[in-house]
Amino acid sequence: RYVRQLQRLQLLFSPTAADARGARQFVEEAAQDFARQHPDVVLYVSPHSGPGPAPVLRAEYLNGTVREELIASKTSEEIVQLATKLANQSGLDIVRIRKPFHTDNPSVQGQWHPLTNKPSILTIQGPRPQPQ
Amino acid sequence: RRSEKPNWDYHAEIQAFSHRVQENFALDLLKTAFVNPCYIESEEARRRQLGLDKDAVALQLQDNSGLAERGLRFARTYLAQCFEGAYPELPAKGIEALVNFLTSQELVSYVAQNLSIQDLALCRDFPAAPDVLQRTFLAVIGALLESSGPERTGIFVRDFLIPQLIGKDLFEIWEVVNPMGLLLEELTKRNISAPEPRITRQLGVRTVLPVYFVGLYCDKKILAEGPGETLLAAEEEAARVALRKLYGYTENRRPWDYSKPKQRLAAEKAISSN
Repeated sequence: RYVRQLQRLQLLFSPTAADARGARQFVEEAAQDFARQHPDVVLYVSPHSGPGPAPVLRAEYLNGTVREELIASKTSEEIVQLATKLANQSGLDIVRIRKPFHTDNPSVQGQWHPLTNKPSILTIQGPRPQPQ
Repeated sequence: RRSEKPNWDYHAEIQAFSHRVQENFALDLLKTAFVNPCYIESEEARRRQLGLDKDAVALQLQDNSGLAERGLRFARTYLAQCFEGAYPELPAKGIEALVNFLTSQELVSYVAQNLSIQDLALCRDFPAAPDVLQRTFLAVIGALLESSGPERTGIFVRDFLIPQLIGKDLFEIWEVVNPMGLLLEELTKRNISAPEPRITRQLGVRTVLPVYFVGLYCDKKILAEGPGETLLAAEEEAARVALRKLYGYTENRRPWDYSKPKQRLAAEKAISSN
């Protein structure tokens, strides 16, 4: 079954800073809908008063990775899109994937090895004596 | 510990856990499932150190050992039933080895860690020891058994424990000391004559790395063949390959069936009514 890899989202913003306007609108309008649509993600909203660090959306995944995304000067819809993107990701590191294909069963009928098509010793027959 | 960092709501986390696993739990059963006996002891010791009265020292919590036992028994019987249905030829020792592997500490603690049980479990030391995680996971299974009944718990166990067998070979899990003797027993059960080992192919006999392919023939028909470095090793490997074929645990067997059981019940009802 599918287990969503996002464990919790923490929304840290300040109620007075100008660049956290999108975050405040998100909290007022869209946060409840988002939480209802994703019941397996715990959404924490923590406003820290006064001028503090930039507003940030911190995502924690089941394998322990914590990912922070800046939401300064973003509109409410952009924050919703960002949150759904984080919700659909897994916690693996975002590195360049070396090849876009992977199989667990590289060969169906058995991998070739130098002895596959050689007849076995038991079936090799030496030169036959000529029938006299 | 995550529960001591800011932004932590235990009730919300437990609800999110039940949604993540897509199961309905009775929440109080689930909360008792996460309480470990070492946590209760450490809490009582701490309260006694702080100098509270004896009434306040005794906590109202029950621990999860009963639930864990029930979960373990159910998991073992269910997995044994699954394997008996899927591999009917496999002997009892093989099934026991598979079930022991699937309920072993490392595997269950690995599954529990990736389901965020290590954050929710209440235990004495951090990070949680693997046996604590195993007990908590089995207690979660026991709580699910009490809340939703054996069918849904069976589906849960099947979805989370059986995929750990993917890619694993039978004899990595089940240690067999004498595969030739076991093979002779199996063949006598099926009334087939004893196998005759013959060298099928050989490469590099006089070098440091020889390769011998030994085939096992019963009544001049081939049973299995396996490679090895020396003749004895090749014979043993051929016996193992023959056992894998007999028990139906080869690499090209049909993958496990994860479909919903409702279809099967409906099919059975349809068949019985006709």
